[in-house]
Amino acid sequence: MGTARRAFGPVYWTITIALLATGLWMSAFYATTESTMGPIQKIFYFHLPVAINTFIACFVVFVASAGYMMQRTAMWDDLAEAAARVAVLLCSVVLLTGMIWGRNAWGHWWTWSPRLTFSLVLWLLYVVYLMVRPSIESSQRRALVSAVYGIVAFLDVPLVYLSVKLLPDIHPSSIRLAPPMQHTLIVWFVAITMLSAGLIVARFRLGRLTRAGARAGAQDAPAHPRLVPLGKHA
Amino acid sequence: MTALRQAAILVAKDLRIEARSRQTLGLVVVLGVLIVVVLALGLGPGPGAKGAAATAILWVAYLFGGVLVFEKTMAVERYDDALASLLLAPIDRGVIYLAKLVANLALMLALAIVVTPVGIVLFQFDLSAAPLGFVKVMALSIVGFAAVGTLFAAAVSSSRLQGGLLALLVFPLCLPLVLASTQMMIAMFSDTHPQTGGGLVILVAFDVIFLVASWLASELILEP
Repeated sequence: MGTARRAFGPVYWTITIALLATGLWMSAFYATTESTMGPIQKIFYFHLPVAINTFIACFVVFVASAGYMMQRTAMWDDLAEAAARVAVLLCSVVLLTGMIWGRNAWGHWWTWSPRLTFSLVLWLLYVVYLMVRPSIESSQRRALVSAVYGIVAFLDVPLVYLSVKLLPDIHPSSIRLAPPMQHTLIVWFVAITMLSAGLIVARFRLGRLTRAGARAGAQDAPAHPRLVPLGKHA
Repeated sequence: MTALRQAAILVAKDLRIEARSRQTLGLVVVLGVLIVVVLALGLGPGPGAKGAAATAILWVAYLFGGVLVFEKTMAVERYDDALASLLLAPIDRGVIYLAKLVANLALMLALAIVVTPVGIVLFQFDLSAAPLGFVKVMALSIVGFAAVGTLFAAAVSSSRLQGGLLALLVFPLCLPLVLASTQMMIAMFSDTHPQTGGGLVILVAFDVIFLVASWLASELILEP
């Protein structure tokens, strides 16, 4: 059981990297080049799956925050933090790829179109989640405030979506894809989903280990540490 | 004692403290006016601000003034462990939250009564097209803002970086309010933009969702 568990990580990451490489190859050589946009359209295969996975990561933050509110165990707080980190990373990638697309499609790095504005507000909501955490000293209080914010921020997401819809839109809403384009998108979607899930789990495990290490360190530390003069260390 | 009477006593207590100490209102009103003046000077003299610009500037004043109001009214409870005593009293924590919210709304109303005319005069903003619409949009927006602000003021009041933290937490959450109200103002005070009910639905939905969510969360977040 232990060996199988140890082998799972390397196998998982090998498949993920292989899928990412396949996705890259398919976008370059297999998917046909779009007639209006040209090669820059290929960023879409990466942009859309990352955007969808951003929402999934935000949903994980919400579920983990609700889990913490119900059970008050540190495990949920670690999961929420891990998912929030990945959500911010993915949302940053969505914003950057969207801006590169926008520069080529509309001639501007930024326009206040509903979806761009939505991505920016979403990014701000979850960056704040990460920035606020270190400012609260007590770990229980930090977990509680973060959990409340994680829930409130997720409830805010549909309202942000509805409010940005009041702005004029120039973003493409539906794109018809040829079969090679669809296949490429599916490969990218699986690869990015595996990457995001892997990153959340890796960060979650790191959080658990850090917490366990801090707890062990606090138990082992002597009440009055012996001061050793500089240069006298063994 | 009914919950309503308990809430009325708590609101009266907060307003009495403010009336006697005059710590918050003077500070907040001056800050609000200062923000409007700084932005008016920064934008330079012009032919008169459009609805969106005036609304946005008023929003900046309300946001910063509001955060200060929420902080100050919650800080009062930290002196002499007043909050711990309040939590020991046989009062539902939801009632404590609602009372704090009403007190905050009263102070925000006082802020708006002074700052809004200053903004209207300095920006030559003509309200005559829809004065009631303006009041309705601003009132709904301030209720939602105060609901979120009061909750997080209680949440961060025991932490090291209260001031910056509260603004950081509340501002991004209130962006739907800012967006919806600004777009509604553009529609109300401009002939070219058609008026839709979408903005009003968002404001009402925000108020309802966050009043309920904050009331429920206050049970857990209010701690001595």
